[in-house]
Amino acid sequence: MSVLHALVYLSVLIFVVACFARGLKIARTPMHLRWELQPVPHEKPGKSMFEQVNWWEHSRDKNHFGELGIMIPEILLLKGVWEHNRGLWFPSWALHFGLYLLIGNMALILLLTILLLAGTAQSGVLVNVLVGLIRTLSFIGGGLGVIGAVLMFFKRTFDKNMSKYATPSHYFNIILLGAIFASTVLWAFADHGYISRVTGLYAGVLTASPIPAFTTTGYLNVAVVLLFFIYLPFTHMTHFFTKYFTYHTIRWEDQPNTKGSKIEQNIVKNVTQPVSWASPHIGADGKKNWVDLAGGTGEVKQDKKEEA
Amino acid sequence: MACQFCGVQPASVKDISKGDDPIAKIDPKDLMPLPAPYDGPEYTPDIAELKDETKKTYGKSSTLDGVLAAGIPQPETKEEEAELVDKFLDGLHKLFTKEDNWTFLQPLMLSMEHCARCQTCVENCPVYEASGFNEVYRPTYRAEILRRLYHQHVKPGNKWFKTFQNNGIELNYTLISRLYELSYRCTLCRRCAQSCPVGVDNGLITREIRKLFSQQLGWAPKELHEKGTVQQLLVGSSTGMNSVVVKDNIEFIDEDMTERLGWEVKTPWDVKGADVLLIENAGEFLAWPENHGCTAALLDKAGISWTMSSEIAGYDGVNYGLFYDDVQLARVASRHFAIAKELGVKKIVMGECGHEHKALATIGDRVGVDLPPRESILTLVRDIVKSGALKLDPSKNDFAVTLHDPCNTVRNLGIVEPQREVLRMIAPKFREMTPHGIHNYCCGGGSGFAIMSGFNFNDWRNLVSGRKKFAQILNAFADEDLNTDETKKYVCAPCSNCKGAIRDMLDFYGAKEKSGIHYGGLVELVVNAMVDAAEPVLDWDMM
Repeated sequence: MSVLHALVYLSVLIFVVACFARGLKIARTPMHLRWELQPVPHEKPGKSMFEQVNWWEHSRDKNHFGELGIMIPEILLLKGVWEHNRGLWFPSWALHFGLYLLIGNMALILLLTILLLAGTAQSGVLVNVLVGLIRTLSFIGGGLGVIGAVLMFFKRTFDKNMSKYATPSHYFNIILLGAIFASTVLWAFADHGYISRVTGLYAGVLTASPIPAFTTTGYLNVAVVLLFFIYLPFTHMTHFFTKYFTYHTIRWEDQPNTKGSKIEQNIVKNVTQPVSWASPHIGADGKKNWVDLAGGTGEVKQDKKEEA
Repeated sequence: MACQFCGVQPASVKDISKGDDPIAKIDPKDLMPLPAPYDGPEYTPDIAELKDETKKTYGKSSTLDGVLAAGIPQPETKEEEAELVDKFLDGLHKLFTKEDNWTFLQPLMLSMEHCARCQTCVENCPVYEASGFNEVYRPTYRAEILRRLYHQHVKPGNKWFKTFQNNGIELNYTLISRLYELSYRCTLCRRCAQSCPVGVDNGLITREIRKLFSQQLGWAPKELHEKGTVQQLLVGSSTGMNSVVVKDNIEFIDEDMTERLGWEVKTPWDVKGADVLLIENAGEFLAWPENHGCTAALLDKAGISWTMSSEIAGYDGVNYGLFYDDVQLARVASRHFAIAKELGVKKIVMGECGHEHKALATIGDRVGVDLPPRESILTLVRDIVKSGALKLDPSKNDFAVTLHDPCNTVRNLGIVEPQREVLRMIAPKFREMTPHGIHNYCCGGGSGFAIMSGFNFNDWRNLVSGRKKFAQILNAFADEDLNTDETKKYVCAPCSNCKGAIRDMLDFYGAKEKSGIHYGGLVELVVNAMVDAAEPVLDWDMM
């Protein structure tokens, strides 16, 4: 096993474990108070449960296709940015969509690698289609991403709304993504053995067998991709999966508290926790729990000596 | 302090910790223009200057934007300032623990850690837009301050990496006193959150900042705390009315309504086993008594078995804890639930009060177990009107009507259609505002602003936070003559706090006298259209 093998395994492991840990940390936070925000798409438009008299007596037919109707245009087309920040839309869409294409390309490379490892003839139709697709997606995805990264860099730098709130990491993220996109395009363009080398890389990683040597651009591409794998779980870019929580467990979480439900159990768990807020009107001492405090009024009686 | 190159104020987020002068200034010339005939400079005066004595007393907290909503007396010594900073920091840690903040830990953490700083949300903020895009009111400005403090002081990790990702900020007394004041420049309408592609919620962040100040330092506007939740839990109502006074008032309202309608209207009290416990915002009984009178008349006419409660807090649906303090929120909501259980009613019907809807129907849904069901008066009125139990003549409402959507009712609960169905049946000249429904604009009085009037905050509310709504109202009546009060225009605002804000706004601009723009609730319009009412309920001279 080479150093490259070790780096690939390590970076993928860090990516998976760190993302999982982040997701787990969020998922394990206590059930919060309801904080839904319209539109809640699993309710049909104009059909909020609260619009019915005796709403609790009616069965709730959640329309989960409605959720997809929001999520798909949001993820693929960045609909929110289109509607509310038109000037940012193309740079952001190009950057995101370029990345989607390259991720899709990784799946195709994996598929091709598995086919080749399984002994599929290199001259077969399926293999040829995949080779063509991979090459095309490398150009289109990488090219679109480069355009997006360059435009995003300019937006971050010169847009007065964004530049004031930019941090060094924003520039670094764009440069890192730009490097991934650019090196992908360059590698695919300049190296006639691009397909055999990337499938060789995947095969080497999958079977712990030797990885073929790359061109300099190839090594650069692999290096920036691996760096991205290691870096991403520790950044706000994890919104690619934490968005699940902001939408499904907050904005669209409208499950009523009914007798005997899991929600009821969680409430009991929550309100029996100790409170330590320091303001006198709370009356907390680090031991009393939320139930103990619920009977209070918030009145703070003045010390009589002080008054005198 | 304004940037020396572009004039934008403040120049950066870091300015919150610096200097002794206000970091932002509201110049009337910068404010969003109003539509004609309110587009002259006389309709956009300067905000009253704070008195020197006030500035001296409130020190650093008065140096945000020259406006004071809450204010905190300036500590006398540097040591006291340092103590407060330490206490704030302690509270900041508690804000991110499951014991002290299980209520909102998950949404807060997600909003702290995933903002892309893309600023997609900012132009959806009516305060930011109406102010002429004053930097200090940008919805991400205050969120960014808390985010930097969180990463710097709470989140574990390498200091260099955290600064690389989030920049830093100096934590001192200047910052906390201004941040406290700044947390009362957002109406918590959550329009910004609706537009965030990632799901970050700056409204929530603002509320969490308020909460930290209240629950840790005991800092909260007196209108919300001492005169709000505390008075409600001690005396019975944030209006100060105890049960004897409120019963007297309601008796008077019932008598007046009986006289005007020609049939007996009587409010039942403490009826065990009634179907409905009606809880309204008690502010209605003093400021808009006809709202209760009309609600009572409709419930009677529909033959509904209902009651009100004279228990402490049982006759006042407000819950200002929603705006600043989870413990106070839970205390008030728990009282409401306990009273309903004690009476053995089948459901609580929430009166025309937006934040009551949110506090009881959704937020309050997880502060206890085995809770009584809650329902909106808007849906009940819609069903009463549609049932045919009332004889209605829409021509009695033959004047221009537009509808204001209270944020809490529409954006949180999604109650959009019932009130429209009613208006389409009883108001032939009904027209929508643009935008409306779940994309509405706040009245400017949200999150407690409608009842906060200390120092020069009224000016700010009318000129800045309510400006977008005033423009919407004018635009909704653009096809009417706005230069006369002869043609009557009615803003239907089914929410007490919204009505309060709209009342002040119309007074401020003289829109009632100049343009004949009046305001009121939904039930008043329904009863006004009733064929068998002896007299019209709407009295334009009294409105």
